[in-house]
Amino acid sequence: MTDTQIDSTPAEAKPKKPRKTSFTKALNDALDLGMDRFPEMFLIGEDIGEMGGDFGVTRKLWAKYGAERVRDTPLSEAAIIGTCVGASMVGMRPVAEIMFADFLGECYDQIVNNAAKVHYMFDGQFTAPLVIRTSCGGGFGGGPHHSQSVEGWFLNVPGIVIVAPSNPEDAKGLLLASIESDDPVLFLEHKALYRARAEVPEGYYTTPLGKAAVARAGTDLTVVATMRMVPMALAAAEELEVEGISVEVVDLRTIRPYDAETILDSVSKTRRAVVANEAPRIGGLGAELSARIHEECFSELLAPVGRVDGLDTPIPFSVPLEHEILPDQSDIATAIRTTMEASR
Amino acid sequence: MTDIDRHGGLMELDQLLDLYRDMWLIRAFEQGLETEFEQGNVPGMLHTGLGQEATQAALASNLEATDCFFPDHRCHGINALAQQRHKGDGERIMAELFAKSTGVCSGKGGSLHSADPSVGNFGDNAVEGSYLVTVLGVALAAKMRGESTVACAIFGDGTVGRGEFHESLNMAAIWDLPVFYACVNNGYAIATPVGEGHASADIVDLARGYGFPCEQVDGNDIVASHAAVAKAIDHIRDGNGPYFLEFKTWRWQGIFAGEFRPEAEVKYWREDHDPILMTNDMLTGMGVAEDQLATIESEQRALITEWIAFAKESPDPDLAKATADVYVQWEVKN
Repeated sequence: MTDTQIDSTPAEAKPKKPRKTSFTKALNDALDLGMDRFPEMFLIGEDIGEMGGDFGVTRKLWAKYGAERVRDTPLSEAAIIGTCVGASMVGMRPVAEIMFADFLGECYDQIVNNAAKVHYMFDGQFTAPLVIRTSCGGGFGGGPHHSQSVEGWFLNVPGIVIVAPSNPEDAKGLLLASIESDDPVLFLEHKALYRARAEVPEGYYTTPLGKAAVARAGTDLTVVATMRMVPMALAAAEELEVEGISVEVVDLRTIRPYDAETILDSVSKTRRAVVANEAPRIGGLGAELSARIHEECFSELLAPVGRVDGLDTPIPFSVPLEHEILPDQSDIATAIRTTMEASR
Repeated sequence: MTDIDRHGGLMELDQLLDLYRDMWLIRAFEQGLETEFEQGNVPGMLHTGLGQEATQAALASNLEATDCFFPDHRCHGINALAQQRHKGDGERIMAELFAKSTGVCSGKGGSLHSADPSVGNFGDNAVEGSYLVTVLGVALAAKMRGESTVACAIFGDGTVGRGEFHESLNMAAIWDLPVFYACVNNGYAIATPVGEGHASADIVDLARGYGFPCEQVDGNDIVASHAAVAKAIDHIRDGNGPYFLEFKTWRWQGIFAGEFRPEAEVKYWREDHDPILMTNDMLTGMGVAEDQLATIESEQRALITEWIAFAKESPDPDLAKATADVYVQWEVKN
């Protein structure tokens, strides 16, 4: 049958293809379901209204819920997050969009000194049930201020929750769980994942915060990965399966507070670990996870924990230079082989 | 009394006596605290509201428990008055400053983070100006819910240097939010004179471009300040959007290195334009006996002595508080 021929098979007789949803649409569905369920929820950010946001995550919500609950703002990130903190202190559930994570510096004080601390410093009299959605990560020539991985900026801040999905199904469930959360959530959306497609359950569901997922079972080595590093780690694992190395992949999903139990259980079983995160190495998530695994699994480890992360540089505009700096599938595969070879 | 009377600065004698009492509560509180601080009994740092009693009493007496205010570093007095007026437990502000378990935040907040939302106190923030944008959210929530809450940010002149000041006024203006900007211009940001730190020594000039009512008042004149606050609050509560009011006042406290301001300036504000002496003159002019006024002062000083004793006798917070309330949904285990 050529493309020009008419397919006369009745629609109901065709085999149903699994319905695949993009990461972006999964997030959009979550926001829609949240807005429908929680009257106290509202969306706020730059051009999130009629325009639907820079990446289209809030598309059509302005038309459905109106300008009062899908609220465009001036370029005032501190005021956007300040508004979220104040509104959440009196029981609203704001969800902000900060167009690029690189702009979080503009509202860092509101996140770190207010959102993360009002519950603690005022002795539990307030909560800040807000969500800050933001696009992060590089790999597409965005340059120094449109490409950064910012989890390290917030890793040292007690009180904040950092959520980082790697696939459309989790993106939807984790966003709904974040909206339900009474703790403030920084919700990281890796730009390279926006177009990822997968089957996503219909309707309202939540994926628990603070729980990692074993994305692939294996017996020889555990890779603990976040966001875009997860599909890369899964691909590296397939590659190494051929070489006879069985890799388990743990998708962290929540970066703070992270699920140490799942990580340590996995490493206790495989006795080797590699941690993979896109951000610069020094003082990053990889350092924390590596230290924790060494401290708690030292006697069981057959090799030192391997680390895959970005080089310790800003991110350049040139795509070849950027590729030089950011970790990829081959870096993960190399780290796995090196760790296997270093085993005692 | 009609709104015109309230806003025109007419005041019944009883009301003026109440405000005089409030001003003495603030002064006694701060002087008592200063003495304890010098003796090493109060941890942390100390910023007092001495000299700003009229501004503070005017604000405290006009804000309801269902309103919301974000106090600044020198607002112990407002915090205590709100606590005392709405719940009768002003001593819990003193206890918070002593970091005791009986404080409004169980000693976890201290001078710069005392809050009690049940009296409308949403807490100071040690990062000056930070709550200038937080207040927007409280105001927006009130507006979305159709509540008549006034969301008030009380902030000093120095704070105006922060970008948040301008982000806030702009957003309040475009969204017509019920925000009351109460700018306490006490002349100095730490040691920098207001005219050196800003393009205008009159902060009201910097606010006018945003297009909502902006007024200035002698913050040491209790009658004028009270009327100005009443007018601002009525404007906001009637659904007319934000309002900016600058109080011209002066703080007694120098800096940690001591007094740094010209002698004539110090004399003017502490002697010729002291808010309590000014009120005292008004009251005696209205025929109130000096004895009655002296009794008000001594009663407030006695009350503060009790509060200090309460604070000192109160236990430290339970050590379990150290790791409590980091998250709502998780316990912190170290």
